[in-house]
Amino acid sequence: MSQDEIFAQRLQAAIARHLGPPGALHNLQRLTGGATKTTWSFDADAGAKRLELIVQMSNAGATTVPDPLAGVTPHLNSEEDAQIAMAAERGGVPAPHVYAVFDDADRIGRGYVTGRVAGETLGPRIVRDDKFAGARAVMARQCGEILATIHKIDPREAPFLIRQDAAAEVAAYYRYADHYGLKLPAVELGLKWAAEHAPRNPRMTVLHGDFRTGNLIVGEDGIRCVLDWEISQIGDPMQDLGWLCVKTWRFGGKPPVGGFGSRDDLFAAYERASGIPVDPKQVMFWEAFGDVKWALMCLRKGMAFSDGTEPISVEQSAIGRRIEEPLWDFLNLIEGRE
Amino acid sequence: MPTSKPDATILLQAAMKYLEEELLPTLNGYYRFQTRVTINVLNTVRRELELRGAHAAEEAARLKAILGHDGPLDSLNDELCARIRSGAIAASDANLRDHVRRSLGAALAINNPKWTSR
Repeated sequence: MSQDEIFAQRLQAAIARHLGPPGALHNLQRLTGGATKTTWSFDADAGAKRLELIVQMSNAGATTVPDPLAGVTPHLNSEEDAQIAMAAERGGVPAPHVYAVFDDADRIGRGYVTGRVAGETLGPRIVRDDKFAGARAVMARQCGEILATIHKIDPREAPFLIRQDAAAEVAAYYRYADHYGLKLPAVELGLKWAAEHAPRNPRMTVLHGDFRTGNLIVGEDGIRCVLDWEISQIGDPMQDLGWLCVKTWRFGGKPPVGGFGSRDDLFAAYERASGIPVDPKQVMFWEAFGDVKWALMCLRKGMAFSDGTEPISVEQSAIGRRIEEPLWDFLNLIEGRE
Repeated sequence: MPTSKPDATILLQAAMKYLEEELLPTLNGYYRFQTRVTINVLNTVRRELELRGAHAAEEAARLKAILGHDGPLDSLNDELCARIRSGAIAASDANLRDHVRRSLGAALAINNPKWTSR
């Protein structure tokens, strides 16, 4: 039996155990094969119903070398990932509905099953295709409202989230640069600028941490679901607003919010829904520092093989060579050339 | 090193032509995406072979002007980074900003030439 066949067999048994027999699978398809997780789409017969599902499997342990930067920046395991998604759904966020979290008795590894929401996640299509023109017109407002709802999640519902303000994040990303012995003046400039401009004493709330085009399921009516909660943390709520504006996540779209909307619409909707005033300069800090962070995340992905933490992969290696893209955007942003 | 023929750039061109024109049209989904990324990576290697020498010389000349002395490229970069971190050169310094902008532009000409003209 191939590895995929063994996985399918164990998945069927786990579905029957958690959701009801027979658990028979249909149309099992691998969607992505990331280094840290693999995502599959499938339908399953459970009880009298046929459910449309997604399963995300953690690939932790694919190599035996411990991650030397583990814990420096947030990264949830799959149980925590499922828990924060459940807390978000309870709070009224359109998050994926969690059907099952695997345990040792499933003998399938770490992972969890969610409902499958129909729609588009690919950034270039969302920001360009005519069929999403109506969605683009309302998405900045929806983002403001959804972020306000996320920021209201009670941190006690997710006690595993780490707490980092801007200064702590700058220190964490200095550690990235130093770990790899990177001597790139553009990165040093970016980190220095961030250290000098970090907001002091911000409000601290639950953050999604990776709220952006590409992690949103979009239909012609607008945003249907918010995915990828695995770098959620406690931090400055303006961070989520700034990250959504990072130019990389505009996928070639002109409007500054996610490639689809205006800052005015985002900020007004967020203020209305949260009661938290938005300081555009503080959001701009998080956008600019977001460029620098993404540059160092690219470095980390590109160097994971050299580090021994992940198998070699053309996709990850190629991301390493994207390091200058956000640094270029950073420079333009702080010099007002955008 | 003796120069073997054909050049590395020709080998890359041949490999990319096969992947793009013959293999890619037969693929779908995951495999099509991975092959597309592979072609992009080979293109980056080709541009690096063509441009790296000239870029390194220009970078060294700019570093020498900022730091006031010559040296191997790696140690010049180490020194500039240390000066930025200590504050000996301000993050707002116009010469530093100009150097960083040119260095990023040169790297993007290899890694993703379309980025600077968006």
